Order: sequence, then C-alpha cells, then structure tokens
Amino acid sequence: MPKEVVITGMSLISSLGLSLEENWNNLVAGKSGVKNITMFDASSLTTRVAAEVSPAFEELSRNYIKKRAGSQMTRVTRMCVTAAKIAVQNSGIDFSQVDRTRCSVIMGVVNTGNSSAEKDTTPQNTVFKTMTNSMPAWISLEYQLMGPNYAVNTACASSAYAIAFGYEMIKNGQADIVIVGGADSIINFEEIQGFNALYALSIANDPPEQASKPFSKDRDGFVIGEGAGILVLESKDHAIARNAFIHAQVAGYALTSEGYNIMAPMKDGEGMAKTIEQAIKNAGISKDEVGYINAHGTSTELNDRYETMAIKKVFGEIAYQIPVSSSKSMLGHTIGAAGAIEAIITAMSLRSGVLPPTINYNNPDPDLDLDFIPNTSRVKDIRVALSNSFGFGGHNATLVLKKHL
Amino acid sequence: MAIITESIKNEVKEIVYSFFAEECEVDIAQINENTSIINDLDGDSLMFLELIEIFKKKFKLDIELKIIGKYAVKHPVSTIGQLIEMQLLIIEHENRLLEIEQ
Repeated sequence: MPKEVVITGMSLISSLGLSLEENWNNLVAGKSGVKNITMFDASSLTTRVAAEVSPAFEELSRNYIKKRAGSQMTRVTRMCVTAAKIAVQNSGIDFSQVDRTRCSVIMGVVNTGNSSAEKDTTPQNTVFKTMTNSMPAWISLEYQLMGPNYAVNTACASSAYAIAFGYEMIKNGQADIVIVGGADSIINFEEIQGFNALYALSIANDPPEQASKPFSKDRDGFVIGEGAGILVLESKDHAIARNAFIHAQVAGYALTSEGYNIMAPMKDGEGMAKTIEQAIKNAGISKDEVGYINAHGTSTELNDRYETMAIKKVFGEIAYQIPVSSSKSMLGHTIGAAGAIEAIITAMSLRSGVLPPTINYNNPDPDLDLDFIPNTSRVKDIRVALSNSFGFGGHNATLVLKKHL
Repeated sequence: MAIITESIKNEVKEIVYSFFAEECEVDIAQINENTSIINDLDGDSLMFLELIEIFKKKFKLDIELKIIGKYAVKHPVSTIGQLIEMQLLIIEHENRLLEIEQ
C-alpha cells in the first residue's frame, strides 16, 4: 500500500532572510529582496539588479559547517548544506535513532556556482567545488545517510523534480526520510551577460525592487535571485511514530517534457496545462479543491502569458476563483532552487492560511486576467495548493500539496 | 639529497602542527606525534596532498606525486608523527625516495 508523504522539516535562505520565519514574514509583508548588485562590479551590464543573499549568511554557515569542509565548498554549496542542517534541526530528527539505510538525499542542482567570482586558492578543492553531486554528497556525509544521494538538473524545475523523486521513494516504500531541495546562485558577470544576450532578464534597474513584476503589462524579464530551500520529506507513519510536527502533505506531482524548444515554452501553454492536469490526476484531487497556485511566474512575456493560459485551460471558469501569486516578484528567480523555495512557500501558505502576494502588480495586463493576489497578502484557509516550475529545455513540474489536518 | 638539520625538523613539525590546528579547528596544544589524523582530528587524505604542495614550494622540491604515492602505499601514514617523518624523507630524498628501500 502506498505510503503517505509529509513535510516535517523546512528551511529557507534567500534575499529576504536567513531563516524560514524571517523569509515568511517578509514574503507576507510583500517586501522585495531585489537590490543593486553588490557581489561584483555590474556597471557595464545591461541588468544591474539581483536578489542577493545577505553577506551575513557566511557567519551563519560557520555555525553549521566545519572550516575544513567549508573550504571545499562553494558559497552556494555552503548555502545548501547550511539550509539542510537547519531543516533537519527543524524536523527534530535524530539520525542516530533511525535506520540510515532508509534515508536519502536528492538535490536540484544546476551548477555549484564555481565561477570566476569564487576565489579558489587551493587547486585540490576545484573538483569538489565544481562537481554537481557535491551538495547531496555533503549532506549525506554529514549524517552518514546510506540511501541513494544524487543531484538532478532540470534547469529551473530542478528542485521541484527533487521533491517529486523524494516523494516517490517514500510513497513506494524505498525510504522513510528523504532530504530534498536545492540551492543556486548565478549572480555573476558571465551568467547575467549570457541571460541579457537572450533578452531574458529585466533591465528595469531603477528602482531595483520594482524590476520583477510578474503578470503585469510592463513586465520585461526575470530578475536573478539566489538561495536555498530544503525540505525533509518523511512517511506519515514514520513522522507520527516519532510525534513530529507536520508542516504539510505532498499529495502528488507531474513531471513532463515539452519536446518543443530549448528556451521558449510550448505555444499557448499547452505543455504547462498538460503538466498541471496530470498533477491533479496523480494527486487524486478534484479541481475545485485547489485553493491556491504558487505560479512559476517569472515576469517574462511568454511564461506569464502561457502559464495564465494553462491555468485557464485546466480549470475553466473555476480559474477565476483560484488565487495565483508569484514569489519571484519578491525573491527573483532562484533557478535551481526555485522549485523547492516555492514549494516551501506553498506549504507555509497551507499551514498558516495566508497567501503571499504578487508585488509590483500596478499595471495589469488585460490578457492575463486571473486573481494574482495583487501587492498585499491574503488571509484564506486553503486545503490544497499547487506549485508550478517550468525550466529551460522544456522541463515542467507541478507539485500538489495538501494541508495536514 | 638534502641534509636534514634540527632546524628543518623543527620547521616541518611547526608547519604540520599549525596546518592541522588551523584546518581542523583544534588547539595546537592538543596535537602530538601520536595524534591520529583521521580519528582524533577528523582530517582527510587531501590534507596530505596540501602539505606536500606547501613543502614543495617551501623547499623547492623536485618530486613527483606518483613517487610519493608508491612510497605511501608501502608506508601508510596515520599519525602526525608518521606524517612528519615522511615529509622529512621527501625533503631529504625527493625523487629518489623509493631508493631508500633498495
């Protein structure tokens, strides 16, 4: 019999804070983490804003990672491992008391951030800093977990895929606990120049906090963010047996490929709609149960248009009653970490009954006519919520989360 | 072939002790020749390589890593004292390290 899967630990590091609580308070307050880039000299770039994690993060990480190990990691790997250790703390799991052969780690990793911005003075560390499996490996090493640990790369949907794979392992009885999530940072000269060349980024540099404006008529591209989001997934039986606090339940998912274009989403959101539809079916819920959608909502012309069309196609008239918001309006696009960060925000929405807003929504696009929770958060008790992630390469993911009752 | 003086011995010992104290975040006073690199300091094999690089630069050594590797297979190092002893042999014999046994 398939196991039910619950979330017993969460942590979030982003431009809006170094703890889940700080992040959540800032998200429901509708604050933006987007600022002028300080990590390097961006003055010659077309885009000069990003959502950077506070430098105070390094001080936090020293409480969780030994100096020796920290020197073998990139900044973003330290972000991942720090967040993982906070999430495990949050879960209350004592790994010495569980069967560690039934514990796994799956991380969504696009890259480790070992760019020219990383000052690598020890060549022996270059390989460890570059290998994309380093994030799950370090977490597994930390707790001597002996179930499979691996990284999955499906661009902006990577950590949503990690959650889906972790869910599947527990549901099928292959694991009791899976630490899932991701971390990413591409705030460096080369990446921003590259995305600028694709006309993918916002160039609305002034004021920075208004650059990311998903679903608005004047949206002009996404804003790069960085951060880490980690969840501890656990079988419901296992969690209840140890009297764990349950944040929310993972009820299902869908993963699809568009087979269409390396960058652009499939016309009219057809691929996105299929993904949402499959996820609803996989979770065994009815469409009218969905009380909130945390959108991929990148603030690009095509994503926001097609995602809106996809939601309308799947839900029909009900679509107008479902609040939809984009966390990227506040956090920017955290790429490989986005799926996990937004799943955490979705879980917090279910838990707290507060839906975070889409900020900078001052100039509605008449073609995009859903309820985007404009500018201020909303109190609403919801039972089921979706989180969408769509990546370059046609990697689609929709997660279905349920309130734990 | 270098001559290992007391001064070199002391210098190597000081570098090794300081390196492990710094990297493993332990008080240098807790380190002695019998300290186990893995069990007591939570160290790793990479530290050995890093120390070799430090000594290669400091003493301008002509030594290939594969020669050290062959020697280390027959003479595994687990304590700080053994590591210092091997570093001194490397400094003394450089690329002729394997000839010691002949």
